[in-house]
Amino acid sequence: MSTNLGKRKRKVGAVTASKSKRREERSGSEESEGAKLDAQEIFRRHFEAQFKPLPIVQKATEEAEDLSEEDDDEEEEWGGISEPEEGGVEVVEHTDAQTRMAAMSKEELKAFMSSKIPKSTPTVSLIRDKSGTKIDDEDASEEASLKKDLALQRLLAESHLLDSGSNTTSSGTNRHKATDLRLQALGSKGSIFKQEKMPIAHRKGIVSKQNEKEDARRREARENGIILEKAKMKARSGNEGKRDRGVGAPAVGKFSGGTLKLSKKDIFDIEGPKRSSSSRGGRGGGRGRGKGKRGR
Amino acid sequence: MAAPTPEFLRFTTHKSFTQRLILSTLTGRPIHISQIRSSSPTNPGLAPHEISFLRLLDSVTNGSSLQISYTGTTLTYQPGLITGNVGAKGDVVVCSLPEGCRRGVSWFLLPLCQLAPFSKGVCNVRFEGEGTITSATETGDVSVDTVRTGVLPLYEKFGILGAKMELRVLQRSCAGPGGKGGGGIVELRFGAQIRLPKTLHLNRSPGRVKRIRGVAYCTGVSASNNARMIHAARGILNPLVSDVHVAAQYGQAPLVSSNDPSNPGGKKRTGVGFGLSLIAECSTEAVIYTADVAAPSDGGVTPEDIGKKAAWQLLECIERGGCVTTVGMGTVLLLMAMGSEDVGRVRLGKGVVGTEDFISLGRDLKRFGGSNWGLRDCGDETGDIIVSVKGIGVGNVGRKIA
Repeated sequence: MSTNLGKRKRKVGAVTASKSKRREERSGSEESEGAKLDAQEIFRRHFEAQFKPLPIVQKATEEAEDLSEEDDDEEEEWGGISEPEEGGVEVVEHTDAQTRMAAMSKEELKAFMSSKIPKSTPTVSLIRDKSGTKIDDEDASEEASLKKDLALQRLLAESHLLDSGSNTTSSGTNRHKATDLRLQALGSKGSIFKQEKMPIAHRKGIVSKQNEKEDARRREARENGIILEKAKMKARSGNEGKRDRGVGAPAVGKFSGGTLKLSKKDIFDIEGPKRSSSSRGGRGGGRGRGKGKRGR
Repeated sequence: MAAPTPEFLRFTTHKSFTQRLILSTLTGRPIHISQIRSSSPTNPGLAPHEISFLRLLDSVTNGSSLQISYTGTTLTYQPGLITGNVGAKGDVVVCSLPEGCRRGVSWFLLPLCQLAPFSKGVCNVRFEGEGTITSATETGDVSVDTVRTGVLPLYEKFGILGAKMELRVLQRSCAGPGGKGGGGIVELRFGAQIRLPKTLHLNRSPGRVKRIRGVAYCTGVSASNNARMIHAARGILNPLVSDVHVAAQYGQAPLVSSNDPSNPGGKKRTGVGFGLSLIAECSTEAVIYTADVAAPSDGGVTPEDIGKKAAWQLLECIERGGCVTTVGMGTVLLLMAMGSEDVGRVRLGKGVVGTEDFISLGRDLKRFGGSNWGLRDCGDETGDIIVSVKGIGVGNVGRKIA
């Protein structure tokens, strides 16, 4: 027992055995409590403090309770970890709410938490041949290895479609994108996703937005001192240059049915601006008359 | 529909109330229930949730007639055709549950789902109002998550398409103060109507548990409770099954009117609490064990306790064995009985067979014209019992002509 001194004790036997030593240390703190105890107890304590401890005969359990209460107060003083009881194994339960919660994968979570009934889907093998039958992983034949090779090539080329977290579930979209990539690899001119027909205003908006984004990116890079790739030459917008007219066609107007048709604009262009006096007469005069009317 | 000489089947007390009404509607036999809480001096007669169920039954059927005595202790019900949404305005039938309702919404959902495959058209019902409790309750009802993940998959075995069933939880709610009322919104969309359910043969071994899934939900309390429940449950289950995943659902507590006379437009939050629903899927298809624990409405429990309780409950349910749990038993046996005139078999654990629900369902089915069940030992060391049920062959009356 003497080796255990200085440790917290819960067992009554141990407490009573080492009590005397503790009492010396506690005597100061227990002065207030001592008032409640009877006089005999006070005398006994005093005696014990001066000389050696008296043998304890009874009230063992009661005092043990006292001690167990006081044990909590003495936390700092005793500080140590309680020694395991004889033969018992101390069980430490480590509960830590911060430990990583192995969550379901996003796809699985979505399938499970949707309002539909979750179905227990068997995990499917990714490598399948054209007819949809699964290729065994251990199959070492030439044919099988070719298929696996193709599957690997495709995986490498198209895996970036899978990692975008947003569209893991939209497998149809991914399939179309993959088809597009394969078509382009085979030599298709444009993407199947490029929309050909759309309102001009709509397209203009899209193009201007793209340009705007690109400009902003370049400007920011320049401000931050980042060197970007060279800017692509911008396509000339249509209204700048003159329309290319065919060889031998008239430089002005529209020739059809043996007649040269001139629009009002063409005539205005040829004639040039009207004389300034007439224009002044038109508007200025009006204003003048208006003033005159008001004056009258 | 009403037969010229209605011969009432007579029952007493409110026990298996929904089950008897469902059976009556499915078989077309009128029933008379008397002595409903007639001995209670304070609350005699039908309870609010029973009235709500009768209203619901009235709105999904056509031509049914109900007579309730003044005290509410006697009820006469003449069933009509199950029409589902056919006569309803709009997309869904709205079932508003009153404030004093103590039963979870699954108390309504489970019988309604039993009725829905036999309806003429789609059966879309939305439960709302101040009495809708989506969580598990102290009255023994399971949560909506258990209904969706643990009971509805059983329908697929009967040839009822799972893809056409939906159970949307638009607003979660636990039981309000005193276990009364909630304020949740749940929508059932049941578009899988059939002529006759297939004969079920689920008499093989249930296999072994291959994965455990679940939903932890909390409304109006800290969302960390979810993590704590899940952690505690996983602490027990992970050494046994490695594939344990529980989703967490957090929602605000629903707003309901405060019923304050001084402030008529006032609202208050109710239905605060948390709970955990777990399911264990087995290697055999359509064998799902369920467990469901929610915090009591007066609180005072830690999420860890709830998590542990749910895990233990799940283990207990697995220990009971068989292919169907006590929660799904009623549905499976009823659908088997409504199936074609062929003998289906289902393997049930002794703990499931020995319940009052099982016995009363068997007796009720017999009263409604079903045949006797055959019980025999399955003959291996598990001690499960194989129940053979012969169908009545009634099926869907609305689809008989079509």
